[in-house]
Amino acid sequence: MAAAALTLDGLGVEFSGFKAVSKVSTVIEEGELRVLLGANGAGKTTLMDLISGRTRSTEGRVFLFDREITNREEFVIARAGLGRKFQIPSVFKDLSVRRNLLVAACPSRGVFSNLRFGFPSATRDRVEDVLELTGLTEAADDIAANLSHGQTQWLELGLLIVQQPKVLLLDEPTAGMTAAETQKTARIIKALRGRHTLVVVEHDMAFVRAIAERITVLHLGQIIAEGDIAHVESHPKVKEAYLGSGGIH
Amino acid sequence: MTSRRLFEAAAYALFIALILAAPSVLGEFWLNRIAKYLVFGMLGVAICLSWGYAGILNLGQGLFFGIGAYMMAMSLKLASTTSQQAASDTPIPDFMFWNAEPGADQELCCITKSSFLWIPFQSEWFGLAMAVIAPTLIAAGLGAIVFRKRISGVFISIIMLALVLLVRLLIINNQPLTNGFNGLTDLGSFTVGGLVFDNFSKATYYAVAVALSVSLIGARLLVETRAGLVLQAVRDDANRARYLGFDVPTFQTFFFSVSAAIAGVAGLLYVNVAQFASPTFMDLSFSITMVVWAAVGGRNSLLGACIGAILINMMEAGMSETQALVESWRAIIGVVFIAVVLFLPRGLAGLADDLLNALTRRRAPSPVDIPVTSSRGGA
Repeated sequence: MAAAALTLDGLGVEFSGFKAVSKVSTVIEEGELRVLLGANGAGKTTLMDLISGRTRSTEGRVFLFDREITNREEFVIARAGLGRKFQIPSVFKDLSVRRNLLVAACPSRGVFSNLRFGFPSATRDRVEDVLELTGLTEAADDIAANLSHGQTQWLELGLLIVQQPKVLLLDEPTAGMTAAETQKTARIIKALRGRHTLVVVEHDMAFVRAIAERITVLHLGQIIAEGDIAHVESHPKVKEAYLGSGGIH
Repeated sequence: MTSRRLFEAAAYALFIALILAAPSVLGEFWLNRIAKYLVFGMLGVAICLSWGYAGILNLGQGLFFGIGAYMMAMSLKLASTTSQQAASDTPIPDFMFWNAEPGADQELCCITKSSFLWIPFQSEWFGLAMAVIAPTLIAAGLGAIVFRKRISGVFISIIMLALVLLVRLLIINNQPLTNGFNGLTDLGSFTVGGLVFDNFSKATYYAVAVALSVSLIGARLLVETRAGLVLQAVRDDANRARYLGFDVPTFQTFFFSVSAAIAGVAGLLYVNVAQFASPTFMDLSFSITMVVWAAVGGRNSLLGACIGAILINMMEAGMSETQALVESWRAIIGVVFIAVVLFLPRGLAGLADDLLNALTRRRAPSPVDIPVTSSRGGA
């Protein structure tokens, strides 16, 4: 059995009496691709906020491999090896695509250690590889603000890949994409499988079927089912939670 | 890309050659004047660094300029003949006699309640050093608080604006320490060995021109480093940078402090050129004027912002001294500002950039069109 890459131990948060996420415990193994599923308001994004340090949890703990990262600052958690992609793609819009990736590729993270010119050739090669992987080689010198929505999403994925995190959290990586763009995103994510541990929040069931191994279903801030697609789809609690909409589409 | 870099390097070289060659053409009256404008050019560089590159619109840059100016002026005041006349061991600024406590010892230590603060300024090197160190430390301390608290955008502008007015008020209200509203006048000259930096001397002009060249090239190199690249990333999306593992406030604080240091140097040079320091340096209108210089010159270009500051000041002087325009020059300058903001949102530097793009594109023999999307590339 592979090592535990991301361990959530009774994680939860309460916003003035309202428990948005409650007692979430799960272990994501190294190299696994885990999909987080749930209706709007189930607490998927809040859970990602709790893991990545954007929101401070009020209960439970988070471990990245052996290191506890509960409620640390975002940049500390990021340096520990956690990457996050946001639901609304965020990139450095006034920089060219290549310079976006170079930012993520900086060999160190401090001010003074970066007071030097240029990048090691290995770093440059890595950036070119990621441009290739995300299909942005042609657009490498374009300003990021001028990219299409799909390209912006891929660029943000590229930032994370260059950053080389151990665990990647992807919040709806196909939101707003056309079918063709979604397929390409699935290809990129599949290419990452094995090299990184991935946690993906997604609504698009076609996409989930294309990439998923294990699925965790959240409902009203709690885990109600966990397992492969067949297991989750036939789970009575999942059926109950989705009864109004006739099951998962 | 490379031809653009070449053009940029040539523009910097040409500008620096011009300002260094000026003394062989101009008389001392004009040198003194141009020196003032070059000091304002440094302020343009400082604003560009914080506004254009760090995304911090500082509406109180006059704070750092003013503190730099006062630190230097305190030393030069003590070096002035007007301070040497007292029958005491230490020089005492003339205004302190007028503000002296009744029966106080006529020494710098105790003639007024806070006059002891002036004691170290008897060394002109102390004043010089403090003119750079004080603004830098204040900016670093402010940045550490403000940026850690993730205050951004218009709120920083408001904080800086309030702060510069607060310090201005403190200076005006502490007459026995600062000579209040009157500022520090009748200053001596900075002297190194036998070299006197008289305000009309070529030495002073060269000091200003070299300082401007160094800060211009230094700032340009600084934003070219990887840290400079990260800074621009922080400007575009601080949150994204944070999640890539960058401690955002350290980058903001560092460059904010560099910007303050440049403004401090500008302040100390201005005192040497103009021979006075005044609370008007911390007037709100002055700080806002600096931002306008940078906007007209191009806030994303260090050289552009610098040239913007110099050109506007030349224009103002030229027009205000022309008989026919004595009444209307302010209105004309206002119209120029509005026109620039409306039609040249990236300022004069943006205009130069577009012209360069148009030229290189026409010359490019490649049959494949350059994608339209790349035409917005910044300088």
